[in-house]
Amino acid sequence: MKAWHLRDIILVTILAIFMGVIFFVIGPVYTILSAALAPAGLQPLANEILLGIWVMAGPLAGFIIRIPGAATLGELLGAVVEMFLGGVWGASTLISGVVQGFGSELGFILTGYKRYNWLTLVISALTTTIVTFTWSLFKEGYASYHLGFLAMLFTVRFISVFLFGGVLTKLITNLLSRAHVVKNVR
Amino acid sequence: MNPSLKLAWVVLLALELSFTQVWTVNVVLIVICLALMIWRRVAIKRLLWLTGVPLFFASALVWSLTLQGSASHHFLIVIFTRMFVYVYLGGLFTQTTDPLTLTRSLEQNAHLPAKFAYGFLAAFNLMPKIKAEVASIKAAALMRGQVLHVWSPQLYFKAILTAMHWSDQLSLAMVSHGFVEGAPRTHAAVIPLRHRDWWLTGGSLVLIQVGLFIGLP
Amino acid sequence: MAVVNVTHLTYHYAHQSKPVLNDLNVTFPTGKFSLLTGASGGGKSTLLKLMAGLMPLSDTGTITYDGRPWSSIPAGQRSQTVAMLFQEPSLQFTMDTVENECRFVLENLQVDPATMPDRIAASLAFIGITALRHRNLMTLSGGEQQKVALAIIVAMDSDVILLDEPFASIDPIARQVLLDKLVALCTDHGKTIVLADHDLSGYAEWVDHLAVLEHGQVNLLSPSETQARFANFTPAKLAIHPAMPRPTNPIVLQGSQIRLYQGDRDLIKPQNLAFYEHKTTLITGPNGSGKSTLFRALVRLGHYQGTFNYHETNIQKIRQRRYARQVSLMFQTAAAQFLNVTVAEELALSLKYGRTKDFPSERIDQLLERLDLSGRHDQVLYSLSSGQQKKLQLLCMLIMAPPVLLLDEPFKGLDLASVTTVVAILREIQAEFKLTLILVSHQLSGLDDLVDYHLQLDHQHLQYVGVFHES
Repeated sequence: MKAWHLRDIILVTILAIFMGVIFFVIGPVYTILSAALAPAGLQPLANEILLGIWVMAGPLAGFIIRIPGAATLGELLGAVVEMFLGGVWGASTLISGVVQGFGSELGFILTGYKRYNWLTLVISALTTTIVTFTWSLFKEGYASYHLGFLAMLFTVRFISVFLFGGVLTKLITNLLSRAHVVKNVR
Repeated sequence: MNPSLKLAWVVLLALELSFTQVWTVNVVLIVICLALMIWRRVAIKRLLWLTGVPLFFASALVWSLTLQGSASHHFLIVIFTRMFVYVYLGGLFTQTTDPLTLTRSLEQNAHLPAKFAYGFLAAFNLMPKIKAEVASIKAAALMRGQVLHVWSPQLYFKAILTAMHWSDQLSLAMVSHGFVEGAPRTHAAVIPLRHRDWWLTGGSLVLIQVGLFIGLP
Repeated sequence: MAVVNVTHLTYHYAHQSKPVLNDLNVTFPTGKFSLLTGASGGGKSTLLKLMAGLMPLSDTGTITYDGRPWSSIPAGQRSQTVAMLFQEPSLQFTMDTVENECRFVLENLQVDPATMPDRIAASLAFIGITALRHRNLMTLSGGEQQKVALAIIVAMDSDVILLDEPFASIDPIARQVLLDKLVALCTDHGKTIVLADHDLSGYAEWVDHLAVLEHGQVNLLSPSETQARFANFTPAKLAIHPAMPRPTNPIVLQGSQIRLYQGDRDLIKPQNLAFYEHKTTLITGPNGSGKSTLFRALVRLGHYQGTFNYHETNIQKIRQRRYARQVSLMFQTAAAQFLNVTVAEELALSLKYGRTKDFPSERIDQLLERLDLSGRHDQVLYSLSSGQQKKLQLLCMLIMAPPVLLLDEPFKGLDLASVTTVVAILREIQAEFKLTLILVSHQLSGLDDLVDYHLQLDHQHLQYVGVFHES
């Protein structure tokens, strides 16, 4: 199995910081969306809509670096970046980072770190949604929502994760493999 | 306090409190964190920010749970205070910990391999260059008539190419500066890990367990 | 002191059939200062990286230090045997401050922490940068960063010091200091120095040997041959005869009380500055003096004080999306301009959004032909040579035909024939679409027909120079 070397570690960190910087512009969007949805009691929906963006570093790192743990580390580092950039959620960001990273890592684990294609990304999007949603059931008390509302939150989260962690990630890796900087994907 | 232990303390607590439902313990922790932050002279502006943000999100979440769910009053108070615990724990940690000391401590006390510790650090020190690069990529696209959004693959594609180039360059430079993966190193600054740190961490964790046990409904 | 010996070294890049280094043999004289020279892309950088152990060798015995291959030197002693200083100043540090970087390096060498402060102080003092000890590395200028990089090599006490185009982006005063220190390291401390630079100017009095890398092989010249070669070499002179702008010239960009700075250092002190419409202005000035910073300010990528007006509107008040297509920059690094994967895609993007539609495909093919880029439509941009990238980049920007085009070193890495073609194409397209061109270039020959005005940056001040024409 491939081991972590200095270059990979630096790459995954720089990648996480790049994502953090790119997403920084999303901050205000999130706040505005939350404020708009809050009066109707729909604030969590803002989370769900944008969640795919926050969890993108995981599948992208997993796809590019292809070492076990890359997705988890990419997402965890993303959280560290957010924390030191002045994000307020602190300790819970770190835990969420690990949870989200592990969620997308599962997708790569299930495909044995051998296949790097559509299937991997779809599975990864699914595992990310399931794992992070389970976490939200406890952490944000989602467990006490009515079932119908819960189903809607889950669906929106999956769509978001699928669009960003799946479709967009696939488009990015297509460009990378055409430029011969990552191995060709079948 | 030793940064590695402090990190472990903060993460453990945040994790545990995500699954427990004792709001009195949450409130006690909020008060303690706030007191410690004031004692460590965290700027008042920062404190207000650390209070305002969770106030909005916790209220919105509680309101949503009321409208769309069937949570008890007790549970709503737990959720409301929990959001503050997260933010204050995080605030206490980031406002009183310097990233370099944390990295050194992780290397020396937590025995994180040096390649991780210094690999992270080298990349983090590129932060200003990374910000400038994102602006550059977007500007280059605008000059060609293209607007790059958060959902544009090309934005990430260009960023990743740069990340690859920089990580190649930085890792070579570190090797040239004598860094060898897995080789022993000396330490210019020794981060102490005192008995006191262990007692404080352990003792406070035990106290919180007791509090959680007593507070069980 | 270590003797560095290269024997029968052959090196292929991946995906290339011809070796870049071909059965290369050389022994760099111990305790001497050798200048490794040769065309851009000729393998200088590759040779240095191989010597520094930074790229794997298929046969480790081809490069030895005192008879030992790099890989068999104990890991802890390698950087004391050979160390490298890189071209890009800001990408060679791990830590935040100068002192912390020095400590990191000495920790790597397992130096006793008690002796570190003195050793750090001594090496910083040797280079003359004691004052920088507590400064943040990212806020230093390129010249200061290179000085720190050399101080670190001094602290490591490396026997062989390799430098890869270290002066590419630093100011002449810093260059002078560094050359001075390098000579001192040779003569007083017996260090072996190999410095790679494609440009020979300003080295004659400093180096002992020229090592010429050509066709994959190194020819080491003796001191007398070296001096003879330098004597024959005449640095590029500015052969243009620009006029002074007339007061009646229409102005396209007007700066008032413009100040450019880096950290707390002034690059350009507050001054007014005009650029003239439909003209070509050449800006010259020493490396690191602020030319690229001026360009970044003009396209709103950098900080500046004062105001720039574009056709009498403050450039900060124009919508970014619109302004970017009025005043565009051809970046110094070609890859920074590209957004796609293949040559065809990149051209298609320019054709789609270009200001004019006067580029039918026959004309594009013709231009590609002239630039010697035909038949490369499906090639990946990043696999083009640096010269090909540069030419394609220029073509893409000319198809965009922004009213004002800033060109940062548009001739970098081009051979003389290509420069002639590029200048001819620039002139045609400028005349056709009435472009305003502002360029920064170290390549000065062959520009006479192109340049109208010459703006000189000297002592933190920009000033037009030339002759007054009566009319």
